[in-house]
Amino acid sequence: MPILSTSVGLTRYRVLEEVEDDLIRSIPDLLLKFAFKDIDHTAEERSFGWVNMDEMLDDKWNVSPPEKGQYYTFALRLDTRRIQPAVLKKHLQIALNHELEEAKKEGKNFISRDRKRELKDQVTLKLRARSLPIPAMFDVVWNAPENKIYFTCTNSKVMEMFEEYFTDTFNLTLEPLTPFFLAMNMLGEDAAQKLESLDPTYFVA
Amino acid sequence: MDLLLLAERENTLLGQDFLTWLWFKSEMSDGQFQLDDGERFLLFMEQRMSVQGGEGENVDTATVNSSSGDMTEVLMGLKTGKKVNRAQIRMEIDENEWQVQIKAEDFGLSGLKTPKVEMKDEEGDDPDSKFLEKIYLIEKCLSLLDSVYMDFIKIRISKEWQDEVSKFRHWLRNDED
Repeated sequence: MPILSTSVGLTRYRVLEEVEDDLIRSIPDLLLKFAFKDIDHTAEERSFGWVNMDEMLDDKWNVSPPEKGQYYTFALRLDTRRIQPAVLKKHLQIALNHELEEAKKEGKNFISRDRKRELKDQVTLKLRARSLPIPAMFDVVWNAPENKIYFTCTNSKVMEMFEEYFTDTFNLTLEPLTPFFLAMNMLGEDAAQKLESLDPTYFVA
Repeated sequence: MDLLLLAERENTLLGQDFLTWLWFKSEMSDGQFQLDDGERFLLFMEQRMSVQGGEGENVDTATVNSSSGDMTEVLMGLKTGKKVNRAQIRMEIDENEWQVQIKAEDFGLSGLKTPKVEMKDEEGDDPDSKFLEKIYLIEKCLSLLDSVYMDFIKIRISKEWQDEVSKFRHWLRNDED
């Protein structure tokens, strides 16, 4: 699990809503419901969902439960098929050449723009079916009693995906603990006005 | 104003003010800080730092990565009005040491290194013990960072901030002596 790595990248969140005990108890069921679905035998470009933090292949939490001490742990697994641009270029050229030969037999000397686009889609799909998805894992640690969530990623696209999928799964909203929200969290809503109207500091006279 | 847009402005403002102040603060106090419960720890900014200035399309950044800890170039940046936007921070309690890089605008943490956690499995060990030790050490690191941020934010929104800035300017000037 990435969180045990010597060097960890981390983003912090808190849950905006009040989290009921019932919801906490239903975390394991919701994780199952929104678990990762394998795309090895399809041509899908991308798939993501929750898996066991201890084992990326365990989407049923057979290996271990999500509870570890006071924490709920799981991981966002993201599998992506990538086709090298050079590979696509080559196979598209092969397909275009073939198409042109066929067209010549019918006395035509060109391929329409629409047909080119269609061919590109077909080639992409064919290559995708032949390439293996690349898996990635990002750990999620939910310290429920303290209403804190740690996500082992600082890539904004992955973070956005995580935030949305977390909301879809638990019907809760995550607030990233960036400088402003962390300060609000520490000082309480009363400090909002002060924090919102700060002027930048000029450290040199 | 849209809350997220506002937050973006405030995030950069607070994050950069914080890291810039933290450098001065740790230099002034020889790295000594204290948690609310009285526990003492050391905090230094070292090796890697970058400063940023300007606005919009005219943002200038200067980055230093110095194993000898020579920060002259980023100090030069501060003197021309730039602020710290990325820093590497080292924290120590007794023999324990943490290291982390922090980004001003969103407090994204990278390269977070905790004191070593024994990865070998011993018979009869709780299978979660490695994780629990690691998360304890990570949360410890976050609590140290939060504690200095809390120190900063209290003074930042108070009337004393201008005094603090004067002290900062004095420190920056004295560096030349």
